[in-house]
Amino acid sequence: MGAGSVDLFAAASAEGAWTVGEVTRRARAVVEAGLPPLWVRGEVSGFKRWQSGHWYFALRDRTAQLRCVMFARENRRLPAAPADGMQVFAFGRPTVWEEKGELRLTVLELLSTEAGGLWQVAFEKAKAALAKDGLLDPARKRPLPGYAQRIAVITSPDAAALTDIVAVVERRWPVAELLVVPTRVQGDGAEAEICAAFRAIGRIAGLDVVIVGRGGGSKEDLWTFNSERVARAVAAAPVPVISAVGHETDVTLCDLVADYRAATPSAAAAAATPDRAEVLDHLAQVGARLGRAVAGRVDLAGQRVERSLDRLAGTMTLRVERHRHRLAALSGRLDALSPLKILERGYALARDAEDRLLTRVAQFPPGLAFRLRVSDGEVRARVAGP
Amino acid sequence: MSPPPPPASPTFAEQLERLEEIVRRLESQELDLDESLKLFEEGIERLRAVRERLTAAEAKVKQILGEDFDR
Repeated sequence: MGAGSVDLFAAASAEGAWTVGEVTRRARAVVEAGLPPLWVRGEVSGFKRWQSGHWYFALRDRTAQLRCVMFARENRRLPAAPADGMQVFAFGRPTVWEEKGELRLTVLELLSTEAGGLWQVAFEKAKAALAKDGLLDPARKRPLPGYAQRIAVITSPDAAALTDIVAVVERRWPVAELLVVPTRVQGDGAEAEICAAFRAIGRIAGLDVVIVGRGGGSKEDLWTFNSERVARAVAAAPVPVISAVGHETDVTLCDLVADYRAATPSAAAAAATPDRAEVLDHLAQVGARLGRAVAGRVDLAGQRVERSLDRLAGTMTLRVERHRHRLAALSGRLDALSPLKILERGYALARDAEDRLLTRVAQFPPGLAFRLRVSDGEVRARVAGP
Repeated sequence: MSPPPPPASPTFAEQLERLEEIVRRLESQELDLDESLKLFEEGIERLRAVRERLTAAEAKVKQILGEDFDR
């Protein structure tokens, strides 16, 4: 029924009175026919979210206001609800809500005219919640491992980001093992998959570091990484997390919470690994130091041995000298005691045939043959007869 | 497929740390000659092992599949 079919003459008398429902139904038809879906600009006021998930609010300007509803199936695509006082553009169908007799805009799309729009509102809100729990505190950031052996990568399995990460790790640090945990990185389910991936890496033994990220994309594409849930999953990771989402200019909540923010996936891989060539250089230096240190130690030992030998030789000389003196003294005494010296003074020793020393007269019976030892030899002798 | 087992010990970082320690102790010149030579031998052996590990390595890429964790 079109607006032209309303019979104004029939309604001009009490007898021809319409029911309320007829009026609102007709009003609705008139409004819907006369006002096609359109964009409206205004200030949000009296915003309410109902249990059902539907949003109810009014758009106002200085002179008028327009009641609005945005159903859950439309508003769930938006990152955040608008706040009262916010200037917005709403696209919707004007209609009449018959039960209340109200002119209403059924909103299909809502954009904030403020800097960054609703995305920014959602970002700030989630950021504030994370900050409140201390998750943005720089003191939370853990140092990255120096020589990672196990690196988990949470990203899309068939995107350039993963290819870049694999290439960099192969070139710089092939010592490492890359464990890829494939997830969607945008759209429905991406948020839940990334959170599940972070739970999964908690069960990998010996993991050193995690890289999470994706290549560049639109603000909406990167939105998963601004999710408070994802940010909390990153913060709860048992090992340091390197975040590389989009391009250098896109800073996401995931980047803010991570232990290290890399500008690109390649840069993330470089941050997670040392350069093999540099490590080999370092090893060469360690080897040289090792050689020098042990050579120094051996030299030191040699010097000690030399010093010890010197000291030993010193004491030996002293001892020999002392012994020589004692020997001279002893030999002097020996010399003095020698029987030959006594014989030289004119004494003689008498011995019988059995070489017994004869020292008394009784040992000399008449006729006994004996020998006399004098200073230069022996003399045979016999005791004179009776 | 369950999550892969931890890498063989000692880790690369541990090997390097031990090497540094050996060099530091040797440089301190506080050990007797016998200990120094033993440490030197250990250092050379570790250096060789680490270099070998570095030059022989080839990056391994594994995919932890969906059934490994609850989505």
